[in-house]
Amino acid sequence: MPGHRTKGFCASAVALALCALAAGCGGSGESVGGGKAVLRYTWWGNPDRAERTEKTVALFEKQHPDISVQTSFSGYDAYKQKLAVQASGGDAPDVMQLDYRQIDQYASGGVLLDLAKQKTVLRTAGIDSGLLATGRVDGVQYAIPQGRGTETVVYDVKTWKDSGVPLPRAGWTWSQWASSVRELADKTGKPGATDPGQSEDAFEVWLRGRGKALYTRSGELGFTADDLARWWTFTDGLRREGAVSPAEQTTQLDGSVENTPLGRGKAVSDTNWDAPSSGYLAIVPTGIALAPMPSGSDGTPGQYFKPSMFLGVSAHTGHAKEAAQLVDFLLNDPGAAKILGVTRGIPVNETIRTDTAPLLKDFDKTVADYQASLEGKLKDPPQAPPSGDNALQTTFQRDYDQVSYERMTPREAAENYVTEAKAELRS
Amino acid sequence: MTTTAIPTARERAEATTPKRRPQREREGAAWVFLSPWVLGASVLTLLPMAVSLYLSFTDYNLFDPPHWVGLRNYTQMFTEDPRYWRSVLTTVTYVVIAVPLQLALALVVALALKSMKRGKAFYRSAFYAPSLLGASMSIALVWRAVFNDGGTVDNLLGTGGWVNQPGWSLLAVALLTVWQFGAPMVIFLAGLQQIPAELYEAAAVDGAGRWRQFLSVTVPMLSPVLFFNLVLQTIQAFQVFTPAFAVSAGKGGPADSTLVYTMYLYDRGFVASHMGYASAMAWVLLLVIGVVTAVLFRTSRSWVFYASEGDR
Amino acid sequence: MTTTAFARKPVRWSRVALHLGCLAALLVMLYPLAWLLATSLKPADEVIASLDLLPSHLEWSNYGTAFEGVNDVSVWRLLSNSLLIAGGAVLGNVISCSLAAYAFARLRFRFRGPMFAFMIATIMLPHHAILIPQYIIFNQLGLVNTYWPLILPKFLATEAFFVFLIVQFMRGLPRELEEAARIDGCGPFRSFFQIVLPLTRPALITTAIFTFIWTWNDFFTQLIYLFDPDKFTLTLALRSFVDASSQSAFGPMFAMSVIALLPIVLFFLAFQRFLVEGMASSGLKG
Repeated sequence: MPGHRTKGFCASAVALALCALAAGCGGSGESVGGGKAVLRYTWWGNPDRAERTEKTVALFEKQHPDISVQTSFSGYDAYKQKLAVQASGGDAPDVMQLDYRQIDQYASGGVLLDLAKQKTVLRTAGIDSGLLATGRVDGVQYAIPQGRGTETVVYDVKTWKDSGVPLPRAGWTWSQWASSVRELADKTGKPGATDPGQSEDAFEVWLRGRGKALYTRSGELGFTADDLARWWTFTDGLRREGAVSPAEQTTQLDGSVENTPLGRGKAVSDTNWDAPSSGYLAIVPTGIALAPMPSGSDGTPGQYFKPSMFLGVSAHTGHAKEAAQLVDFLLNDPGAAKILGVTRGIPVNETIRTDTAPLLKDFDKTVADYQASLEGKLKDPPQAPPSGDNALQTTFQRDYDQVSYERMTPREAAENYVTEAKAELRS
Repeated sequence: MTTTAIPTARERAEATTPKRRPQREREGAAWVFLSPWVLGASVLTLLPMAVSLYLSFTDYNLFDPPHWVGLRNYTQMFTEDPRYWRSVLTTVTYVVIAVPLQLALALVVALALKSMKRGKAFYRSAFYAPSLLGASMSIALVWRAVFNDGGTVDNLLGTGGWVNQPGWSLLAVALLTVWQFGAPMVIFLAGLQQIPAELYEAAAVDGAGRWRQFLSVTVPMLSPVLFFNLVLQTIQAFQVFTPAFAVSAGKGGPADSTLVYTMYLYDRGFVASHMGYASAMAWVLLLVIGVVTAVLFRTSRSWVFYASEGDR
Repeated sequence: MTTTAFARKPVRWSRVALHLGCLAALLVMLYPLAWLLATSLKPADEVIASLDLLPSHLEWSNYGTAFEGVNDVSVWRLLSNSLLIAGGAVLGNVISCSLAAYAFARLRFRFRGPMFAFMIATIMLPHHAILIPQYIIFNQLGLVNTYWPLILPKFLATEAFFVFLIVQFMRGLPRELEEAARIDGCGPFRSFFQIVLPLTRPALITTAIFTFIWTWNDFFTQLIYLFDPDKFTLTLALRSFVDASSQSAFGPMFAMSVIALLPIVLFFLAFQRFLVEGMASSGLKG
């Protein structure tokens, strides 16, 4: 009976698939390739980064004839999704580039290898200890930061200068920032800045300026609905005055500089990460400059040096040592550093950072100088955010949309967010 | 005027269809024809579906083994998640706007093309052109530019941007779908081509005007295809993902106004890593679409006509 | 053509009005496509920011960059990869879906009703929900990073859309044709190949066209299953010009999407004319 056979087959097949799912299944690290160890290495980025990475990997293969590296890359959003499917299918690449927000989830999901076990080949002495700690979860070094970045107020230099409003200076506070954007709006007729209310990153800077944090050490929410309501009341007030971008502009942010109000010529400044700000050069013809983020009223800096990306090794890799060698090479080899430049952020290895600084040109130099001006003034970065943060970043922006489209008061939206965040962090 | 003067296509076909006998001897042949489908459906479809049904009763974060939570995902969805209900409302609104508009446009254009003698191939290709693009990244950017404030639509209608106003954004998404009406149009055209010309001739001989021919020949003969398009477009509209994702740059904004069901499902499953919850959402959607489709199939008995089966 | 009987009185003005109406509709419909073409020639600072249709000057270098390909993989390689996948998918869908459709439309067998219902149900589950189980299956079979996960399912008639489509067409065919053939001693196989298949050609061509276009544009499956850049497709390469975390190259991305559009335009133009030759002209009467 065909029907019965089919049923029996299905039952056993379901069982098989479930077992595979539960076991998280192995299957990575196929080692054939003419006696060579074959590593798979993936990252996100653009074609320029791809070209530099390819060259670096070629150099690595030349120095390690027994290792062959297969590389692959895609854009950030696509990469995140692809990696999630691969990892949950038990097929994570041997070496993978990771985001701050991914570390906790991937580490606690058993995807990542404890890198301390490979410290004979993977040197971390050249990296600032505070920065290195960001790759640790529960005391285990699961990932190593590969570059660092920090937030910045990026502005249209000419428009700001012409308006006569005093230029931003180091150590300015949020209330000074607020009066600047108000004045800018007055003088130039367009909003002084992108509404920072939708950005969890900007909120974190503001919060740290008040001596708090997004998350506590144990991964719980580090602030209250009061704090958030205060922040959103602050930004929403500025929006109503026209000092920062209106909801219709703010909602178009999609991560690209081209779709920011500054990029569209609809605002004078923007808050963004330093290295990606190079994108503005092509679209703000009158030139841009970087200023530090505002600090708390007592001068407490909120911004910090954040690892722009990490490198991690798959727990299922068949070639842990070789994978660690590749990671070490990408981080610490002067030859590699020369090729890579600052395509992944300012290098974390301090010797390399010092050595490459004079070689930098154009916007790379602007970013390096900007970071140098903050060196030693900022507080240690927080540990990697708990895995729930992935969802909360979107929730944050969605809840603020409700405020800026005037469907909820800042207080209501803040209560909402805190409820959702607590549920998210519990699960 | 009498309506009985002209035999409908239904009556004609009925008259010529001989009574059939059960074809048991063909059972073996049927399984040969079906074998690829049986293999594919069981391994690549039924098995993953079974897994996702199981996952819908678990808490599964993609990495740790799933653990059983019973109906919690379902109760949470129905009682504790206002965003879920907003996405349901958004999706239903979308279905109600997009499906009739797209089908009507596709049918009207297909009929216009059918009655055309010259330039048919040109028009057909031109009307299909937008559908070649899918909802690619570039078409998303074009759409956002055209429907932005200061964009073409704003300049012509003075409505302001559509993609950045919560009251308008879903319409911009629906229009992207409607704009790509090529698929149902081509299916209609293929269906129209399949109608035997002698049916029209016979109707014309019987003195039927164009409108009468349309009602008594075109409509019944096209009804299987019309039904196909209706069912498939409805199913696809309930699952709409790509146009909403593209137009809102993956955010479902502004203010959740384009956060359709599958986008929220994707968000829960892959961004928030609650695959169990996402699977539960998927199964609720399957049930809802199943009911809607069953209703459509039920009504089809009274208006869909199959030449091979006659009328029963 | 016999359709002349249909339009007994040629009314000139209504024809003119028809053409004018169609042209006006086309103007609106093709406007976004014009935008796409124009944008592919815009300089970087105008691609997003400018809301004008026409570029201030023509930036042909967008096409130069696009033609260089991505990550040392030439655009020709990407193109042939895309063609291979789309071609395989077309072959698979046309063969397997028509076989299954014939059984559902014309043959009697046990569990036909429930199996048909199940087939329709498979279209109703959002594919995101079965993505991971499917990935695990292909991974267990060792087929990840090959083209099999993209082509094999088509040979197994997993796209119920097309099965259903062809079923609907086959059910529209008068049964007396096969009855006559059967009396002449034709078994189900011969009557499938010699009678039903030729008459379902519009549906098969439709299946071919849609499969080609949809497979070509299916970014997501390609993204998940392909690892090696040598195996990438045009659609995948297109996306790698855009990375939200670093500098994007929107101009070349638009240029490449125009390049990627050409093969599907050609495919459509080549096959759409077969749509015309339906039953009306295929000599059914004879």
